[in-house]
Amino acid sequence: MLKYSISILCLLLLCTTTLAQNDSIPSDSLRYAQKYGLRLGGDVSKLVRSFIDDDYSGFEINGDYRLTKNLYVAGEIGFEENTTSNDQLNSTANGSYFKGGVDYNMYKNWFGMENMIYSGFRVGATTFKQTLNSYTIYQSNQSWPATTVNSGQEFSGLSAIWGELIIGIKAEVLNNIYVGLNAQLKGRITEKEPNNFENIYIPGFGRTYDSGRFGIGFGYNISYLIPLYKKE
Amino acid sequence: MQKPNYYFLLILLIFFVYKCEKDDICSAETGTTPKLILRFYDISDEEETKQVPNLLVYGINDANEIVLFDHIGTTAINKDSIAIPLRTDGNATRFVLHRDFEGNDTGNIDVITANYIGEDIYVSRACGYKTIYNALALDLEPDSDNWVINSEIINRTVENETTAHVKIFH
Repeated sequence: MLKYSISILCLLLLCTTTLAQNDSIPSDSLRYAQKYGLRLGGDVSKLVRSFIDDDYSGFEINGDYRLTKNLYVAGEIGFEENTTSNDQLNSTANGSYFKGGVDYNMYKNWFGMENMIYSGFRVGATTFKQTLNSYTIYQSNQSWPATTVNSGQEFSGLSAIWGELIIGIKAEVLNNIYVGLNAQLKGRITEKEPNNFENIYIPGFGRTYDSGRFGIGFGYNISYLIPLYKKE
Repeated sequence: MQKPNYYFLLILLIFFVYKCEKDDICSAETGTTPKLILRFYDISDEEETKQVPNLLVYGINDANEIVLFDHIGTTAINKDSIAIPLRTDGNATRFVLHRDFEGNDTGNIDVITANYIGEDIYVSRACGYKTIYNALALDLEPDSDNWVINSEIINRTVENETTAHVKIFH
């Protein structure tokens, strides 16, 4: 996954620099009316992963609406199904999620450009279920043959609420078409855990870690801006 | 143009953390499936522990074959307590307490079957599940020369290895 992330990152870098070079200094008019509107898109990394990774399927639709020069309300809605497998466990989580919050553009654009380097926050919520496909009983002493139980037990009605800090970039590569990359640092606020099991993977949040309530995610988005009006 | 390199580095860093973080190793300190702990007591003074000379312990599987335990092997030593791994794939484990073991066809063999109801308890992502054993009962197979005279179950639930579960009098 990291390999793809880096190549995507390079691609994006390339896009921004090309864009910067192509942008010539415009004529006398020093005022530029910026586009305001609703930007809608999808997470390409989730789609790509759905194709190449048998243990994963998911999609995410994201949108933001520009409120002021630098402030956007933003949100995502999506679905994920992920199978986690290791020596001891095999479990599948699936469910849909919703995230809402704001993005703040910290980047001072060159004249006539509308790119973003932004940070933002979200509150995310999901309802999901986990299926414990199989487990192997852990024995520090392996004298007797290991026992694998094909449980198939379903833990439904699970839920989680979390907060996210986001940093990312969005670049306008074609007129009204944006590509963006972002990374998310997440912290769970509340969750409903299954009985005699735990939330191994939470849709929208990602995998959980034994060390605590924090998690990490990233997204690669392509989106289209529906321009509603222009403002200087 | 303001250089955005700082942000790219930060994003890269997050990806590396994402990739490198691993807690998929079950630590040895984690309490997983417990072993059955037997403690040997003197039949003439039931308060006193009494060592069993040259004790060797091993299991017997369904095909009546000997199963050596990893932590014991074929070492017979004087012991006043022993830990026996129980099977997780059924409700009984047959094991042998072999006293005065000094090679094959020596000493005195007593065969015991431990009966229980297993229960699988979730531990963690890395360790998965452990089995604890409820409603423990022991069954000594009578032979012409049992050296085990009596037993007393202290704790009918085997869920950790901190104290003995069974007293064996001899």
